[in-house]
Amino acid sequence: MIRSRLLSFRLAGLLVLCSLVAGAHAQQDLLVSTAESGIPGGKLVAALRSEPRSFNPVTADDQVSVGIISRVMADLVHINRATQSTEPALARSWTVSKDGTVFTVKLRRGLKFSDGAPFNADDVIFSFKVYLDEKLHSPHRDLLMVAGKPLRVEKLDSWTVRFTFPSPYATLERVFDTVPMLPRHLLEKDYLEGKIDQAWGLNTPPDKIVGLGPFRLKQFVPGERIVLERNPYYWKVDSKGQKLPYLDELTFLIVPSQDAQVVRFEAGDTQVISGLSADNFVALEPQQNSRHFKLYDAGPSLEYNFLMFNLNDDTQANAEVAGKQQWFRDVRFRQAVSAAIDRAAIVRLVYHGRATILSTHITPGNKLWFNKAIKPPVHSTDKAKELFKSAGFSWNSSGKLLDRAGQPVEFTILVSSSNAQRSQMATMLQEDLKQVGITARAVPMESRAAINRVLGSHDYDATIMGIASGDIDPTSDTNVFMSNGQTHLWHLGEETPATPWEAEMDRVLQKQLVTLNYQQRRKLYDRVQEIEAEELPLIYLVTPDVLVGAQETLGNFRPAVLEQYTLWNADELFWRTPAGKR
Amino acid sequence: MIRYMLRRFGHALLLLVGVSLLLFILMEAAPGDFFSEARLSGEISPQTLHALRAQYGLDQPLPVRYLKWVSSAMHGDFGYSVAYNMPASTLLLPRARNTLLLTVPCLLISWLLAVPLGVLAASRRGGWIDRVYSGGTSALLGLHDLLLALLALLFALRTGAFPAGGMASLDVTGGLWVHWKDIGWHMVLPAAVLIVGSLAPILRHVRSTMLDVLDSPYMRAAEGHGINRFTLLFRHALPAAANPLISLFGLSTALLIGGSLLVEVVMSWPGLGPMVLEAILARDMFLVLGAVLLSTLFLIVGNLLADLLLYAFDPRIRTEA
Amino acid sequence: MRQRGKFMFVVSALVAVHLLVLFAGFVAPYDYATQDRDHAYVHPTRVHLMDCAGRFHLRPFVYVTSLQEGALSDYREDCSQPAPIRFFTRGDEYLLAGLIPSQLHLFGVASPARLYLLGTDEFGRDQFSRIVYGGEVSLFAGLLAALLALVIGVLAGSIAGASGGWVDETIMRVSELFMAVPWFYLLLALRAVLPLKMDPVSAFILVVGVIGVLNWGQPARLVRGVVLSGREQNFVQAARGFGAGRLYILKRHLLPMTFSLALTQMAVLVPRFILAEVLLSFLGLGIGEPFPSWGNMINEAQQYHVLVSYWWMILPALVPVPVFLGYHGLADALREKLQSQVRFRGDK
Repeated sequence: MIRSRLLSFRLAGLLVLCSLVAGAHAQQDLLVSTAESGIPGGKLVAALRSEPRSFNPVTADDQVSVGIISRVMADLVHINRATQSTEPALARSWTVSKDGTVFTVKLRRGLKFSDGAPFNADDVIFSFKVYLDEKLHSPHRDLLMVAGKPLRVEKLDSWTVRFTFPSPYATLERVFDTVPMLPRHLLEKDYLEGKIDQAWGLNTPPDKIVGLGPFRLKQFVPGERIVLERNPYYWKVDSKGQKLPYLDELTFLIVPSQDAQVVRFEAGDTQVISGLSADNFVALEPQQNSRHFKLYDAGPSLEYNFLMFNLNDDTQANAEVAGKQQWFRDVRFRQAVSAAIDRAAIVRLVYHGRATILSTHITPGNKLWFNKAIKPPVHSTDKAKELFKSAGFSWNSSGKLLDRAGQPVEFTILVSSSNAQRSQMATMLQEDLKQVGITARAVPMESRAAINRVLGSHDYDATIMGIASGDIDPTSDTNVFMSNGQTHLWHLGEETPATPWEAEMDRVLQKQLVTLNYQQRRKLYDRVQEIEAEELPLIYLVTPDVLVGAQETLGNFRPAVLEQYTLWNADELFWRTPAGKR
Repeated sequence: MIRYMLRRFGHALLLLVGVSLLLFILMEAAPGDFFSEARLSGEISPQTLHALRAQYGLDQPLPVRYLKWVSSAMHGDFGYSVAYNMPASTLLLPRARNTLLLTVPCLLISWLLAVPLGVLAASRRGGWIDRVYSGGTSALLGLHDLLLALLALLFALRTGAFPAGGMASLDVTGGLWVHWKDIGWHMVLPAAVLIVGSLAPILRHVRSTMLDVLDSPYMRAAEGHGINRFTLLFRHALPAAANPLISLFGLSTALLIGGSLLVEVVMSWPGLGPMVLEAILARDMFLVLGAVLLSTLFLIVGNLLADLLLYAFDPRIRTEA
Repeated sequence: MRQRGKFMFVVSALVAVHLLVLFAGFVAPYDYATQDRDHAYVHPTRVHLMDCAGRFHLRPFVYVTSLQEGALSDYREDCSQPAPIRFFTRGDEYLLAGLIPSQLHLFGVASPARLYLLGTDEFGRDQFSRIVYGGEVSLFAGLLAALLALVIGVLAGSIAGASGGWVDETIMRVSELFMAVPWFYLLLALRAVLPLKMDPVSAFILVVGVIGVLNWGQPARLVRGVVLSGREQNFVQAARGFGAGRLYILKRHLLPMTFSLALTQMAVLVPRFILAEVLLSFLGLGIGEPFPSWGNMINEAQQYHVLVSYWWMILPALVPVPVFLGYHGLADALREKLQSQVRFRGDK
């Protein structure tokens, strides 16, 4: 009896303790980080290629603005850049219905925005209302639609929200990554007055920009820097219970050229550098010890570079291109060109070995979806010539390639002048094609004008481009490979697939969108890759490695192959030694 | 006097209109517009982009757009930067200030250096000073801005004595004085490049103008009268040489904005140069217009200033006007 | 006499440079586009007179260089493979003066040796050859643009000066407009506008044309000044008195007066326009790959990794310096002659 009394005392005591603790934490549903715990304090400086255009999450669509906004705001579900799988963020937990259409989210309780105002489901409902508003044309809207129909968002109670997708969707929760939750208490008025797209411009006083991210805006000096400071209300703690982020301040310097960024990094003005070109990587390597930083090669990125021929239909207006398309449309021509390209030389000369030859758009950096069975393209001028011959081409006495009608094969290769690596690839391709008798001319053009030609006027022969997949999940590239996709680059505006293989691709892509089982999807996507390696709508070249650097005393630095390569876990970065802090 | 000034203002206005019209037409002719890149990311639908295009009035015909721009310019609104989603003036003014911060001191320093040196060389024509002077300026003329900027960059990279770019360091805490010192330190290399690059023509002009004046009959007469060298040079010759020199000074202001473009781009000085280059490439029409107009404005102001100075200094002009 | 000697020296040096560049194919040992992918970023080839064993040779030679195993840019000479430099040798084919195919080069070495006098770039292309070919673009851009600016300027200026009145006024106002336009910005904007289909040669000619057309203002004003003062000359007045028509006076008397000024202006404008082309190419808006131009070669040099590791890539920035010095020297000499002419003729 006494034992049971003692036991019940202990139980009661434990209960009281638990409720006390629970009571303390009942105010806040915090997320506990699994990373190494660190020391708070210190500042970190990084560089940005250009200024942000806006701080408005509803309208911002350029990389720089989105990067800053994602440090200041938070999403419901977040993709961990290192593991590449989803994690709870503002959503504490979620359930997906069996048919893959209903996504129910339970929010963390007791969270506060960076100005102290409380966060609940009303903010979520408001945010999605804004993003899905047709009149606002938010870039987020297109990502929240499936087959042209928007999501439905319903509030179940103060902490629960239900999302209903119009059709089953394989990668439901990934859609919510980097869709920031807006503060209703600040922006609702603007929204109702129809002015929300003008809110949070670059002139906004920093204290009016409020979010749930690890940092909040402290200062913006146009043309110079953006200073972020720790958000005291951030809802993440480390394994020791310390509040994150560790850093007191995160500053972005605006340094427009990569070379200037390298100089600043070397001088110690910035402590992190991202997007290093292979050339600069090699130039910085010898200095690692003397300047106490470390360079990292995070392996193949998700960027695929390719040569593409104009296969559009509507070029009657431009007779020159139309005449050449009879070559471009012959798959043997494309295969021959592919065989003539010396990709190994590109890897060696342009990337100093820090790149990988590609056969499809899925790079080896995408471990879940990379198809190892597909053989990489081989460089062989003999094979190229054979293929040309089989397609009816011949050579004249001076070695120039002629088509069936005796016309010399000549075309221009459009390339964006702002990307040094692609310009170099174009120059190398020119020489490679000269070896098989083709006169190709690289035409560098300012990137917007170049894109306009490819997407708008379709006035080009061939082009070298690069696309970085937004996510490892191939659904993010659907627009490129579906016949009716907006970025079905080689043949835009198709109503129906132009060729049997494109039709097959469509079928397989549609199926994988609604298949929920990974293994089945994997099989389907392998087939997609087989088709593209055979038919070569895009002649894949190489994928560069992700090259970054950081001061060696920066803790928890985990470079990833998804944006933001170095600062995706800014809330967990810390300085190991006081000397490393500023 | 008033009529003279009014006439000059009238010219200035005509000039501004002419230049802006020329540019408007040029920007119109180029292919591509700002939203092309957004389309490539594949995440934004064409309808969204079309709507955005309409919102910024990129759909209306050229004459309508030009007139709209002119009327808003009258109210001080120089159009909207499509890229930055801000009025063009808020973007341009800080950049213009940075450019002026760099170029005005350079202009003053080069003239302050050139005038006494030139006068000295002219007065000792044929002597060793003059020969060194001529040899030096000839050598300087060969060194173009690009080479100088590259050498400066190389120097900064190899020695670390001066920053290799930018206008201000990050960690500058403290009062205004510390801030200014920091900016000054960043200014040294770009300013050196600008000064060395622009010195040679000015040096030559000062010398040749002085020589012309020294050769003229009334100077010979003054010499004959026994007036001492110093007074001769500075009380008689220099004022006479002022006319062409002040005109050249006016022209130098044209180089103020335009000439620094290269140095700013190579040395990452956050002035008008890099912004305009990017704006031209981005087809951000109003930004380009605003920047070019700013440069034209500076040229006109410089010339007006030169005219005013001439008016003040040269009695001949006063009687003419 | 010393002046004359100096003048002749400058003129012959300039002529020599232009000839060298005109016969680029002959002077350059390699083609400007040939990529030697096993010799990327090679430092300038060392020319030896003394071999590894210490023996002296009369004919200069080089050693075969190759990349060390596994290294990125560590090239070593191979003492067992000397290659003498031969003159008037066979090499890459090119078109002499753009017409006659030829394989004769001023100097070269036999493969597998390489004679990269000023090193190679990232694709293994010989920098010396590219500088020579690049000179074609830059130098002739300057010449053609200056010629164009002068022709327009002389015409406009002499008409303005000879006519007077509202013709003079309008021409001068228009020239002011052109001089007020920050022409470099206009040039940038224009270049970004040019259509895709335009081949580099046409684009180049267009750019040259624009530079010339935008810059007629200053020559025009100067010419006008000469013509105005020329009109007042006694013999011109006399001719008018004799009943000579305006056009005749213009052609026979006034225009010849402008010649020396025109020549001087040429010497002043050419370097300015060469620089304009170099700057344009440097900013990426000039002639395109693979055609070399001093500007786009300098552009490669400004990259961090190049400045830090490959010093020979800066040489294209030094090359225009003697050219500019030459032209400025020429301009000076011409100006002196002009001055002396004016002084000789008297006060007017």
